[in-house]
Amino acid sequence: MRILEGQGVTKYFGGLAAISNVDFHVDQGEILGLIGPNGAGKTTLFNLISAALPASSGGMRFKGQKISGLKPHRICQMGIARTFQETKVFGNMPVIQNVLVGAFFGKPTHISGAAAANEATQALEFVGLSATSAAPIKDLTLAQQKRVEVARALATKPELLLLDELMAGLTPTEVGEAMELVTRIRDKGITIIMVEHVMKAIMGISTRVMVLHHGEKIAEGTCNEISCNKTVIDIYLGEETHAAS
Amino acid sequence: MAEAERLLGLITIGILAGGVYGLLAVGLSLQIGVCRVLNITHGEFLMLGGILTFTFSQLGINPLLAPVIVGPILFGLGFLLQATLFRGVKARVPSPSAFEGNALLAAFGVMYVIQYLARIRFGTQSLPSQYLTQPVPYVGINLAVNLIVGFAIAAALGIAVYLFLTRSRVGKAIRATAEDPPTAELMGVNTNTILAVCFGLGGLLAAVAGTLVSMRTPVSTAMGFNNTVIALIVVTLGGLGSVPGSFIAGIIIGIVSMLVAGLWESVLIVPVYYAMLMVLLLVRPTGILGKK
Repeated sequence: MRILEGQGVTKYFGGLAAISNVDFHVDQGEILGLIGPNGAGKTTLFNLISAALPASSGGMRFKGQKISGLKPHRICQMGIARTFQETKVFGNMPVIQNVLVGAFFGKPTHISGAAAANEATQALEFVGLSATSAAPIKDLTLAQQKRVEVARALATKPELLLLDELMAGLTPTEVGEAMELVTRIRDKGITIIMVEHVMKAIMGISTRVMVLHHGEKIAEGTCNEISCNKTVIDIYLGEETHAAS
Repeated sequence: MAEAERLLGLITIGILAGGVYGLLAVGLSLQIGVCRVLNITHGEFLMLGGILTFTFSQLGINPLLAPVIVGPILFGLGFLLQATLFRGVKARVPSPSAFEGNALLAAFGVMYVIQYLARIRFGTQSLPSQYLTQPVPYVGINLAVNLIVGFAIAAALGIAVYLFLTRSRVGKAIRATAEDPPTAELMGVNTNTILAVCFGLGGLLAAVAGTLVSMRTPVSTAMGFNNTVIALIVVTLGGLGSVPGSFIAGIIIGIVSMLVAGLWESVLIVPVYYAMLMVLLLVRPTGILGKK
């Protein structure tokens, strides 16, 4: 079943098309890897799905319901949550309070204080941060802050989770832990779209991969298909290998 | 000895009067800190609170009960201002950085509209609104009951607001929205409603401050702007977004005003406030308890 479907999704910034006529879908229960060079439009696509930015044209349906034109908080309450490329934790609030915001205002919208506290505690435990519950955000490492974002998103009770470069800037060990976390989230029954530059992670856990380049979808398929795709190797993987050498 | 007692008396009055300034400033602090509106109409809300308290008292309603009526009325006015005018200004600014300037200009307009409508309806004369003026003897001077009651109500309400912001569900949304509105919105918070609630709450606190001021001094439709200035100074001194900071700063301003009036010259109160503000902006621009 398709949990999310987009047709002709387009976003212009001035005259520049950041996302150009992209058709895409996400199947229930899968991990869709979203890759592409810098500026390919990956984060823009996340911003369009979560309604952080309005699309210029095109339509999206979530579980068969039209979501284009809804306010971001409505999208969240319908069951789509996200994290951010540049972490956007609430720095003035301790860890648990960050997660509580998600628990209180996600889905369902009316939840008792005790239920929200329970929800938040569980989410923190799930991402392995129970010990830092009361700590100020600034005392946490980047990897931990990213986990707080994941916990905050999980506390909103999403059916679809958008992970924007969860692994960027993490050490190899932390990348391994993050991959394990993503798989555990999927095993809870939550569908995932992940934007990632860490190829090992994408190829390791994605069910399918979609490739964006200059705002256009240039390839889509299983990890094997993508890693053998000539265009992808030329414009993206080749570039990466080159940059790494 | 008599001089020391007089000083102690002045300071005590200053502390008690300062509680009301603190309450007024907490409201403005919410509007500036969360809604990003330098709400120049804040003192007009206090004026309306005071004038309406007096009007209701003429109809036989006890001033101590007036907040139950004027609070919700001015909450509604504040809520509407944010939900229509300031939200509209925000939606139409060419760039987000232009919002604060445009909102200030819009607020100036609102200030004059409220002031002149109030003047047409209630005139410009001072209205004898004092209540609970019975003296309580205290180290050589007399404190009026209204001063003590006013401080108690302001402090109780200040504590209530503090608990609301730190403990409640909506309080968490307010703090999240103050820090990062787009992210709060993406976590399911309806930020437009939260902003309107904050502005309304600011109006409510100004209204109650108006009731408390009206018990001590006569009210008039011209009293608004001076109170806006006081609130602005107290917010700056106390640090944006700090409830305890606002109260401490309110008390400092209260003491300073009494000392200047009692030992020097009461017309110098406002210039002294401004002098303090200028020094403060140079020495500690985030306020006494404000975050760096």
